[in-house]
Amino acid sequence: MTIPRLTLWRIAARTLFIQAGFSPEAMQTLGLLYALEPAWPRLYPDAPEQRLEAMRRHLTPFNTHPYAAAAIVGGILHYEAKVARGEATVDDVAKFKRTLMGPLAALGDGFFWLSLRPATGALGVALVPWLGWKAPFVFLLTYNLVHLITRSWLFVAGFRHGSAVVARLAELKVPMWSNRLRSLAAAAASGVGVWLAFRFSEQESSTRWLGAGCLGLGLVATWLIERKVPPLAVLYGAAVLATVAGALW
Amino acid sequence: MTWTQVLLTSVWGGLLALERRAFLQAMISRPLVAGTVTGALLSDVEAGLGVGVVFELLHLGGASLGGAHADHDTLPAVAGASLAASGALQSGNPSTPAQWAFAILLCAPFGRAGLLLENRLDARARKYFGRAKDAAESGNLQRAARQNLRAMWPQFVFYGLICGAAALAGESIYSLWPRLPESLLRGLTWAYPALGVAAAAIAIQGSHAPSRLRIALGVGVITALTLLFMSGRAP
Repeated sequence: MTIPRLTLWRIAARTLFIQAGFSPEAMQTLGLLYALEPAWPRLYPDAPEQRLEAMRRHLTPFNTHPYAAAAIVGGILHYEAKVARGEATVDDVAKFKRTLMGPLAALGDGFFWLSLRPATGALGVALVPWLGWKAPFVFLLTYNLVHLITRSWLFVAGFRHGSAVVARLAELKVPMWSNRLRSLAAAAASGVGVWLAFRFSEQESSTRWLGAGCLGLGLVATWLIERKVPPLAVLYGAAVLATVAGALW
Repeated sequence: MTWTQVLLTSVWGGLLALERRAFLQAMISRPLVAGTVTGALLSDVEAGLGVGVVFELLHLGGASLGGAHADHDTLPAVAGASLAASGALQSGNPSTPAQWAFAILLCAPFGRAGLLLENRLDARARKYFGRAKDAAESGNLQRAARQNLRAMWPQFVFYGLICGAAALAGESIYSLWPRLPESLLRGLTWAYPALGVAAAAIAIQGSHAPSRLRIALGVGVITALTLLFMSGRAP
C-alpha cells in the first residue's frame, strides 16, 4: 500500500497547522490527527474500521518542535504504510513516535528558537541603519530560506528513512551551527545597541553626552541582566533614568 | 484614524496571532516585521520600525520550550506600533522618537498579558480535543481532524480585538500630547535610545552564546569607534 504524491503534499501542507489546536494535555495531538487524516483513505481504501483504528492510535499526547514535527509525520507515514502492507506492527509506529518526539524537540528548540531566530532577528535589526524598512524583509528571507528548506527536507527524510532520519540529522552538525549563530546574535545585538545610542544622540547637538550616557546605561543593563534582574525592570529603569535626565538637562 | 485602518489593524493583529503559533511560524509575527507592517498600514512605517526594533531586541531570546510559553512578542509590537502611528495621525506630523518611546513603555506589559491570554485559550482548546475524541469514537474521521482548525478562531478574534482597540485608543491618548510639558517630551526623546540600548543588553543575554559578553564588548567597541570616526568626532 502506498501513499500518492499528491496526498503526501497535502499532508506536508497540513503539518504547517500542527499547533493550531494546542492544549496543555493533548498538546499537538489535534494537529497530528489533522495532518495524518488524508493518509487513512489511501492506506485502507476498503476498510473503514481499520482507518478508524489507525486514527485512534494517534489520540495519545504528542508534542515536539513544530518544524521537526514534519520529520515525525513523515516517519509515521513510513511506518503506517508498512503496517498497512503487513510489514510492520502498530508498536513500531508508537515506538518511532515515542523515541523521536523528545530528541527532535530539543534539537529544533536549540537550533531554530535559540539560535537561528535570534541570529537572523538581530541581523535584521542590525541592517536597519542601511536598509531601513526593507531590513525586516531581509530577516524574513534569510530565516525562511533555512526554515522552509529544512522543514521540507525533514518531511521527505522522515518518510523515506523512518527512524534512520536521526542518522541523517547527525550529518548536519547542528550543534556547531547553533553556537556560531548564537555568537552572531550577540555581536549583532551589541552593534545595534551602540548604533542606537549614537544615532539618536546625533539628532540634538546639545546632547553630546547622551550617546556616552546611553552606552554607560547599556553596560549597566548588561551587568544587571546577567545577574537575573527581570528584563522589564531593566527596560523601565533605563527609560525612567533617561527621561529624568532629558527633562532636567 | 479611519475605521478602515482600525479594521485593518484588527485583522492584521488576528492573523499574526495565528501565524505566531497556530500556522506556519515563518516569523512574520516577529516584532520587527509585525511592527513595521503595522506602521505601514497606518501610514507611518518609521513608527512601526522604531517600535519593532526595540521589541525585537527585547524578545530576541524568548522561546516556547516544551509546554512552557514565553511572553507574547507580537501583541506588544502591533499594539505599540499602532499606538505610535496613531500619534502621528492625530497630529498630522511624522511621529517622533518620544512618541515611539511612550508607545513602547505603554505596551511592553502586553507581552505578559498576551501570554496569560494564550494560556487561557490553550485551556479552552481542551474542549476541541474532547470533541475530536468523540468524533473518532463515532467513526467520523473528518470531523475529528477539523477540530484542529476550529481551535484557531478564538485566537484570531481576541488578539485582533486587542490590536484594534490599541489603534483606536491611540488617537485619544495622543490628543493629550500637546498638553505635556516640554521637559517631559525632551525626556521621552532621550528615553528612546535608552530603551534601545537596554533592549540590546537583554538581547545579548537572549542570544544564549557562551562567550556573549566578550563578543558584545568587542563588537561594541569597534562599532563605537567606527561611528565616532565617521561622524568626525574622533579625538
